[in-house]
Amino acid sequence: MEHTKISTIEGLNKYREKILESKKNELPTVFVCGGTPCLAKGSRQVFEAFKKEFGAQGLTGSVELGIKTTGCQGFCNKGPLVAFADKDIVYMGVKPEHVPEIIEKTVKKGEVIESLGYRDPQTKKWATEYSRIPFYGHQKKLVLKDVGQLDPAKIDDYISRGGYSALAKAFSMNPDTIIDNIEQSGLRGRGGGGFPTGRKWRSCKAIKTDVRYVICNGDEGDPGAFMDRSIMEGNPHAIIEGMIIGAYAVGSNQGYAYIRDEYPLAIENMKTAIEDARGLGLLGKNILGSNFDFDIKISRGGGAFVCGESSALMRSIGGNVGEPRAKYIRSVEKGLYDKPTVLNNVETWANVPLIITGGVQGYRKVGTKGSPGTKVFSLAGKVVNTGLVEVPMGITLRELVFDIGGGIPKGKKFKAVQTGGPSGGCIPESLLDLQIDFDSLSDAGSMMGSGGIIVMDEDTCMVDVAKYFITFLVGESCGKCTPCREGLRRMLDILTGITEGRGKQGDIELLEELCDVLKWGALCALGTSAANPVLSTIRYFRDEYEAHIKEKRCPAGVCKELITYRIDEDKCTGCTVCAKKCPQKCISGEKKKPHTIDASKCIKCGVCKTVCPFDAVIVE
Amino acid sequence: MEKIKFVIDGKEVEAIRDQCVLDVARQNGIYIPGLCYNPEVKFSGGSCRLCLVEAHQAGRMSLVTACNYPIREGLEIKTDTSLVKRIRKGIIELLLARVPDSDVIKELAAEAGIDEPRFVKDEGENYHSKCIACGLCIQVCEEVVGVSAIAMLNRGPDKTPGTPYKKPSEVCIGCGACAYACPTDAIPMEDNGDTRKIWGREFKMHLCSVCGKPYIPEAQIDWIVKTTGKDRVFFDKCPDCR
Ligand SMILES: Cc1cc2nc3c(=O)[nH]c(=O)nc-3n(C[C@H](O)[C@H](O)[C@H](O)COP(=O)(O)O)c2cc1C
Ligand code: SF4
Ligand code: FES
Repeated sequence: MEHTKISTIEGLNKYREKILESKKNELPTVFVCGGTPCLAKGSRQVFEAFKKEFGAQGLTGSVELGIKTTGCQGFCNKGPLVAFADKDIVYMGVKPEHVPEIIEKTVKKGEVIESLGYRDPQTKKWATEYSRIPFYGHQKKLVLKDVGQLDPAKIDDYISRGGYSALAKAFSMNPDTIIDNIEQSGLRGRGGGGFPTGRKWRSCKAIKTDVRYVICNGDEGDPGAFMDRSIMEGNPHAIIEGMIIGAYAVGSNQGYAYIRDEYPLAIENMKTAIEDARGLGLLGKNILGSNFDFDIKISRGGGAFVCGESSALMRSIGGNVGEPRAKYIRSVEKGLYDKPTVLNNVETWANVPLIITGGVQGYRKVGTKGSPGTKVFSLAGKVVNTGLVEVPMGITLRELVFDIGGGIPKGKKFKAVQTGGPSGGCIPESLLDLQIDFDSLSDAGSMMGSGGIIVMDEDTCMVDVAKYFITFLVGESCGKCTPCREGLRRMLDILTGITEGRGKQGDIELLEELCDVLKWGALCALGTSAANPVLSTIRYFRDEYEAHIKEKRCPAGVCKELITYRIDEDKCTGCTVCAKKCPQKCISGEKKKPHTIDASKCIKCGVCKTVCPFDAVIVE
Repeated sequence: MEKIKFVIDGKEVEAIRDQCVLDVARQNGIYIPGLCYNPEVKFSGGSCRLCLVEAHQAGRMSLVTACNYPIREGLEIKTDTSLVKRIRKGIIELLLARVPDSDVIKELAAEAGIDEPRFVKDEGENYHSKCIACGLCIQVCEEVVGVSAIAMLNRGPDKTPGTPYKKPSEVCIGCGACAYACPTDAIPMEDNGDTRKIWGREFKMHLCSVCGKPYIPEAQIDWIVKTTGKDRVFFDKCPDCR
């Protein structure tokens, strides 16, 4: 569509009608998932194949319009995913050779190709409708509703689906009423802390000042997390719309989107979206005739995990080293460039238009009393279905892991689920029926964090898990304050000792003491929450710590120094495969007779266990 | 400046709004340890965490660093509770393991009742001399001197102040402000006749025309003349002979 500035709310409505009119006679748009995992599985080739096939069939007119790469559609391990505009159909594992049939049947006639759908591993039945695929059926997509259903690089797509109507509505409201609405909606920050968003806005507004800033935190430093990236890549206008509404409510004319440098596609899509919004007059001077001016700059994050922390982030935007600054005057009072500043997370901002559009009551229908709305999680680890999911707050961990996640692969037993990112905690099986909301997770010794969920099975050593996260945090500690800089490395020494068979009586208590010092004494939340992985594993898996320390035994068979490999004489058939593959050549025995491992030479690489066809290698 | 009252260790005390707790405590003879804060240096503090105290405000308690906690209406500070002592002791033990040779830290450890740290003392490759990485030297050089000859090298546990790439700094003027400011006396500065050695560089000292004492590096005079336009003649005599 031709892009001229829209100067009134009515103009925006007319513009939307025009887009809808022009789309009427189009074939349904095909969405090939363009999320990073799908790209890695060849979705670009699928996209190209669609383009080519449209051309070959003389459907040229709709080639460009008919195909859109989209943001992440969620079910990453089944990619590449293909979806269709306003149709309850999703295809998985699509290859270029499927494309002609898809166009022939689904695009032109609306017929379903069952065999490209989801096959239930138990019932062996096929399903192509979202609602009948458990991975999608248990989810509640509000923030992610449009991700995967529109082209993030096209503002018309967003507007045609009702985009920027929340902004239009907001302009008809008193800014204080907007803050009231956000406060009453119960929206809490999705960046980890769960701070009430409305209260933050109100405190910022209460400060007398000439300049205020709003910032979007798109640093997302949790290893393996990609919730915020998916929203920035898949539906950037939702974030921008939220930011304009927030800025209007608190009275700010300048916003910043702080995005980590490792997210080039997120930066590109946000940039395009900002430019397009500016082109239509949705950013800039006198937006939609409201007399309100606002614009957004993109600031690239330095990449360190701690840069996502609010004072470090503001220093980083200001051109300084991204290091937390000890200060007790909150950033709503003195933030970026010492001016009152509202900092919210990507997902938090994307919730704002939903509240304005649906109203407080509508918004509170989903979720719990203390944590209304939904939360986006990235589901990873030892779970059948991995990917991006959005669930109503209050759903149980069990539903998340077993219904949506499909349970643990290879018939293994569930052991724990880690939530909250590197400084979150591990929750055991006995708490699987715990509700997912900000308060329940903190009470259980973990936290919501930004939404990383890692599922662990019986083969996971919980001391090793604690060591893994503390190693990460030692590397990310900025080193400014004593408890975090010194305490974490001492904790790591102790944990390493325990996993290597040097654990002593009193180690657990010393770890607990160090956790206490960090929790109370560290300068920023990286340090104060760094105790969680250790404390939660001690709290729920103390017996594993004790087995390592007292019996020099790793019950999960993970810690190399504490395990031995041996061959079960009854199971071994003397096939010699292991002896041939052993890099140390320390397995011996006659053909067709049970073999033995020379423990003095064994380096515990595990090759024998992997190659043995008879499951005869025992780890103790 | 708005004067307000607040309570510290049960005593009502007057202060200026937003003044930090540590300054007021010290003015009132209340002892709170603290190494990384210097009232003359605006951005100092907040790093060593030795000055932690309990802040009670609006019905909530939190542990805060006295060196940068702003005094506001209704604040009550407790400097000597069991929580404060416990966390402070933990921090001192960590510092003692880091810099077992520092007299300042050894004294604090003795006060807290620590004989030996329960962690392996840093030595060999891990030796930090007496440096607790508080960063005050860097802030002084940047803020007070205005030179920024030193910075934090590395981050996390390896954080350590130094000249860029550990090479002798070209911008350093040899004034020694960092060494004077260091709370643990960790920066080696050697004055030897008419030369001074600091941060791996040798500076020629200027001699007083009256008493003949070497009292200021030539490079520092150049710097002052350049930045303030002061007459070079002024530096002929040392402060004692002026
Ligand atoms: C070490 C550390 C890292 C953080 N990283 C992020 C991050 O990547 N993204 C984010 O939104 N918030 C992050 N936070 C939380 C922010 O400090 C801040 O609370 C948040 O952006 C506020 O927005 P919200 O209220 O909408 O959650 C981090 C905090 C800490 C202590
Ligand atoms: S807690 Fe860790 S990351 Fe935060 S300021 Fe202290 S050293 Fe830096
Ligand atoms: S003196 Fe306050 S933290 Fe060091």
